[in-house]
Amino acid sequence: MADGDKIEVRDITRIERIGAHSHIRGLGLDDVLEARAVSQGMVGQKDARRAAGVVVQMVREGKIAGRCILLAGEPSTGKTAIAVGMAQALGTETPFTSMSGSEIYSLEMSKTEALSQALRKSIGVRIKEETEIIEGEVVEIQIDRPATGTGQKIGKVTLKTTEMETNYDLGNKIIECFMKEKIQAGDVITIDKASGKVTKLGRSFTRARDYDATGAQTRFVQCPEGELQKRKEVVHTVTLHEIDVINSRTHGFLALFSGDTGEIKQEIRDQINNKVLEWREEGKAEINPGVLFIDEVHMLDIECFSYLNRALESDMAPVVVMATNRGITRIRGTNYRSPHGIPIDLLDRMIIIRTVPYTEKEIKEILKIRCEEEDCLMHPDALTILTRIATDTSLRYAIQLITTANLVCRRRKATEVTTEDVKKVYSLFLDENRSSQILKEYQDEYMFNEIQEVSDCEIEPKREETGGGDEQPMEH
Amino acid sequence: MSYENWLNYLRSAEKHSMISGHCRKMHYKFPDGQQMAEEYSMETGIVQRRAWRKCKQLMGEPEWEVELGETPRQINQGLGGGDADNSSISNDFTLLESSSSPVITKRITKKNIEWRIRNLPYPIQVYQVTAEPDKRAIVVRTTNKKYYKVISVPELDRCNLLPSQANISTHHQYNTLIITYSKPTLLNEMEAQVLLLLKNVETETDMEALLQGLLAK
Repeated sequence: MADGDKIEVRDITRIERIGAHSHIRGLGLDDVLEARAVSQGMVGQKDARRAAGVVVQMVREGKIAGRCILLAGEPSTGKTAIAVGMAQALGTETPFTSMSGSEIYSLEMSKTEALSQALRKSIGVRIKEETEIIEGEVVEIQIDRPATGTGQKIGKVTLKTTEMETNYDLGNKIIECFMKEKIQAGDVITIDKASGKVTKLGRSFTRARDYDATGAQTRFVQCPEGELQKRKEVVHTVTLHEIDVINSRTHGFLALFSGDTGEIKQEIRDQINNKVLEWREEGKAEINPGVLFIDEVHMLDIECFSYLNRALESDMAPVVVMATNRGITRIRGTNYRSPHGIPIDLLDRMIIIRTVPYTEKEIKEILKIRCEEEDCLMHPDALTILTRIATDTSLRYAIQLITTANLVCRRRKATEVTTEDVKKVYSLFLDENRSSQILKEYQDEYMFNEIQEVSDCEIEPKREETGGGDEQPMEH
Repeated sequence: MSYENWLNYLRSAEKHSMISGHCRKMHYKFPDGQQMAEEYSMETGIVQRRAWRKCKQLMGEPEWEVELGETPRQINQGLGGGDADNSSISNDFTLLESSSSPVITKRITKKNIEWRIRNLPYPIQVYQVTAEPDKRAIVVRTTNKKYYKVISVPELDRCNLLPSQANISTHHQYNTLIITYSKPTLLNEMEAQVLLLLKNVETETDMEALLQGLLAK
């Protein structure tokens, strides 16, 4: 169990990891939805970004349900980046579900169940509800882990207001929340009693002089007054899926944390739809439709597409954004070919945004942004060479060279990445072109090269059923 | 009559009654979806326990909220009282007040409404119990800032009365603070009216004798 422990400890003091699109902070549009050349981590693709801005506006207004937008373009032209930008532009209030087309193939639930869960995750409901919350300043917090490493953790916390003080025992789930929020003595927190959600309001004024150095985001708040437990009208933003899960089991919200939800009965969904509509009429709730983003949408099969056709007609449907890098290809699960691997009738219901390949100048800009994101100082010459590499091979390869070149540079105790470093990693790591070139040249010396020839024609028909033609890249 | 609203509210409910042992149990189902359960003593006609089930929106079944009387104690609740290896129980809760923190219970007697706050070890001088009409509640403060509680008095609300300082007396003994509020006559009148109302609810035993004895006093 030492391993499990290690993972947990790392979880607490997590450093922000840098993902492929973590440099994107929005769509980079100005007030009149014109795309700025370089802004919020986005470069180029002006038309596509402007179009995405219009879509964002449509979602914000929240009146239109069940529209479908397709982002189509060659690989690495920023389709996912635009989707991430849309999510950022919409903010945290609007639900944005991101999934990959192949995520629906699971042994635990059927494809349509996975799709309808994803659709319902993208519809938010703002509910005004009176709940019992505990609001106070943390006087002392103590979390004990058993010496053996296994077993339950035991937690105690002392909270106070200006008038009173109480000790609480903490359950296991809420200990995790406390660790995640990095709660320490002197923080003012609220705990939602029903859901066990912990939020940090800020640090108490009385503790303001504990440390000289505080982060820029540290807020100082007054110690709360009166009783610790209060009834407050709070506005929850939950998704329809969360309401489904809560109501589908007796210990509903625990299932929500553990993540295993299984299939949800259609009757429950219908009941909840009716209930939500009722609340809306009474003015208790507000429906907040969001966005479902399906990446690699060509991986869906014909059943999913026809399900989507139907599902998008419901007035509870979110706006669906899809992305694909396929040209005219086979629709998965059939023998028919169709543009983007999507049936014509569904394509007819979509509006299509096209992304175009980046120019050399734009690629340079993107690489520059990535260098900043990865804290890598790069010499202008090295950047020019890297841009050259990106145009000759691919943008993704060049981005991966940034990280590796930075490591090489640090090994020779330098601070700035030079052309030498880039050249070195270029020779160390092959790109896809060079690698396949080598394969072609030395085909005979690799194993199983003869069997490959035979199996190719045998596997071909089988692949039509199972694989989505992933091996045939572009069929323009 | 200022308690007319409350009586009408009770009248509107769908009522069920049963007798078990020495108490008569009432169950009310109000048209607005709320439910109330009461237990009356057969000897005195005093309500011993009262609980509400109010509608919640998100969670499936709402919990009973006890307004009056002891909270039914659950076996093995919480950390199981030092039974540390019983991990399946400690797994289930999200947050619990520790067993040494103050607990408040409420009781109604013939003349008084009583609150007992257990686990309060501080001497009597520490407590300040005040009636605050603008909050429609009684407030308990401690000068050492360890305990604070706003106690609402729904009985007084029901007959549109405000709590008054003159009716309050306090007593401290065995780690327990006892707050006694002597019932105003209007409240007594209301309770008798409610009993009269309940007389008409069908139950296995006759409430007549009980009522006769009460009105005579």
